[in-house]
Amino acid sequence: MGLANLVTPAKSGGVIILLGLKILALIGLAIVMVAPLAQSVLLSFMSTLPRDDMAVGTFTLLNYRNLFADPALIGSFWNSLTYVTFNIVICLAAGLPAAYAISRFSFVGDRHFLLMLLALRITPPVVLSLPVFLLFAKLNLLNNPIGIALVHCLFNIPVTIWILESFISTVPKEFDETAFLDGYSTPEFFVKFLLPIIAPGIAVAAFFCFIFSWVEVVLARILTSTGSKPIPMAIESLFGFQTDVGLVMAVTILSLLPGVLLIFFVRNHVAKGFQLRI
Amino acid sequence: MKQQSNAAWWLALPAIALLGLVGFVPLVAVINYSFFDIFTLDSRFWVGAEWYAALVGTPDLYAALGRSLLFTTLVLLIQFPLGVAIALLIPQNTIAKGAVLMILALPLVVPWNMIPAIWLGFINTDYGFLGQMFEAIGWDFDYKFTAMHTWMLILAMDTWHWVGLVAILAHSGLSTVPQTYYLAAKIDGAGRWAVFRHIQLPKLHGVLTMALILRVMDSMMIYTEAFGINAGGPDDATSFLSLELGEDIAAFNYGPAAARSVVYLLIVMVVAWALQILSRRQSRGAL
Repeated sequence: MGLANLVTPAKSGGVIILLGLKILALIGLAIVMVAPLAQSVLLSFMSTLPRDDMAVGTFTLLNYRNLFADPALIGSFWNSLTYVTFNIVICLAAGLPAAYAISRFSFVGDRHFLLMLLALRITPPVVLSLPVFLLFAKLNLLNNPIGIALVHCLFNIPVTIWILESFISTVPKEFDETAFLDGYSTPEFFVKFLLPIIAPGIAVAAFFCFIFSWVEVVLARILTSTGSKPIPMAIESLFGFQTDVGLVMAVTILSLLPGVLLIFFVRNHVAKGFQLRI
Repeated sequence: MKQQSNAAWWLALPAIALLGLVGFVPLVAVINYSFFDIFTLDSRFWVGAEWYAALVGTPDLYAALGRSLLFTTLVLLIQFPLGVAIALLIPQNTIAKGAVLMILALPLVVPWNMIPAIWLGFINTDYGFLGQMFEAIGWDFDYKFTAMHTWMLILAMDTWHWVGLVAILAHSGLSTVPQTYYLAAKIDGAGRWAVFRHIQLPKLHGVLTMALILRVMDSMMIYTEAFGINAGGPDDATSFLSLELGEDIAAFNYGPAAARSVVYLLIVMVVAWALQILSRRQSRGAL
């Protein structure tokens, strides 16, 4: 704290005005970011369809009652959670050794490997949607959460590798050598030594995998044409001739909750700082 | 100096195998389809480079590419200065910082097809907060038929959606600046701009590179969100690269769609390669 006091200039009139402006800017930012969602929250508590016993615009919990009464909607929520969880596990399991390899060794083709990661991360999903559908039909992975978890590796494994690499590179090499000298094998070293020390990196990587997998629509749609629909598709199926906007917004709000929970847990880790090498 | 070891390939193998399955196999299939006229998957005819000739010969492709490049440019020009400015504003206090970071990250967890739905609700003239504000000031905001307004809406929506990512990454870069640097700058009498230019900006290089890659690519290939606003209209004014491809696929024109995909991939690869060269040159300069 002593250091911070030295750094902060003595409070003069100008500084207080500047501080006031900062706070105003932050409040303005919060309002702009929250307003569209606040609108959705409000709508989710409103009756938005003409009903016999309720005027349009009445405050009601009906939308949430309808939501929880609909097994297809609740099921889609679990479908999404299932494939996102699998995706995170697969990406971390495959990404950790690869990130370690890039961080610690130079090997023939390592630059091409990095370029390949970049190329796959930026391949637009819509380009791959048709062949992925045909391939996964052959592999019997349609309408199956595992299928989506696998296909989302396309963009999440590169991100996982980049993030973990930057965290592993902050760990001194002597750390590995000590463990290996003590006779630990590589898998043991990963689980017992590396994982605990880069835990914040794991959390950040999992967070990014979550946000890119949870919100993805194009591949999730084509792989679940007849069943195991994820939550974005379940919401989409609610649109029709007479859309119940209130119900749509209630499902949307529900779909935000796991993400918000995750943000809460990693909010301090994402600010740790990481460097990226591509 | 890193150790030379080709055995490291074994460590990268699981990732490569997975990416091969979900990345390369479909890519090869796309390239294969692009040379065929496909009625059903069992009856298809070799047409050689016909789809490519048709695609490259029409002004459509260049118009869509132009629109996508303009969109990406605007996205970068808006979201990077804004994101960095927000990152500089984030308070030091742990609770306030956590709250600001959470608010910034909120739009990132919204399913992409719901982003346009939320914004269309937001600007709805009957009940939307923003739509009613426009009504009150007498601005006839017509995103359906005025191209300028559609662009403004999509840019505003995209900025709302993604500026948090730029800000969070920028903030994580800023937090790696040791406090002693600021102290030294103060002793030297450095101004606010000098502190930003010579102390904060260099630390932002790595994280902003990641933000740049993600933003350039996701904005160049924007699909779900832009389609949800006005389906590429009015009069194709917001028909970006991916939207045209989506139309081909939706119309079951697999051959032409595959050719278009391959052309897009080439564009994307050129951009990726340019980014990589740029990033390596920069980091060499920094060392």
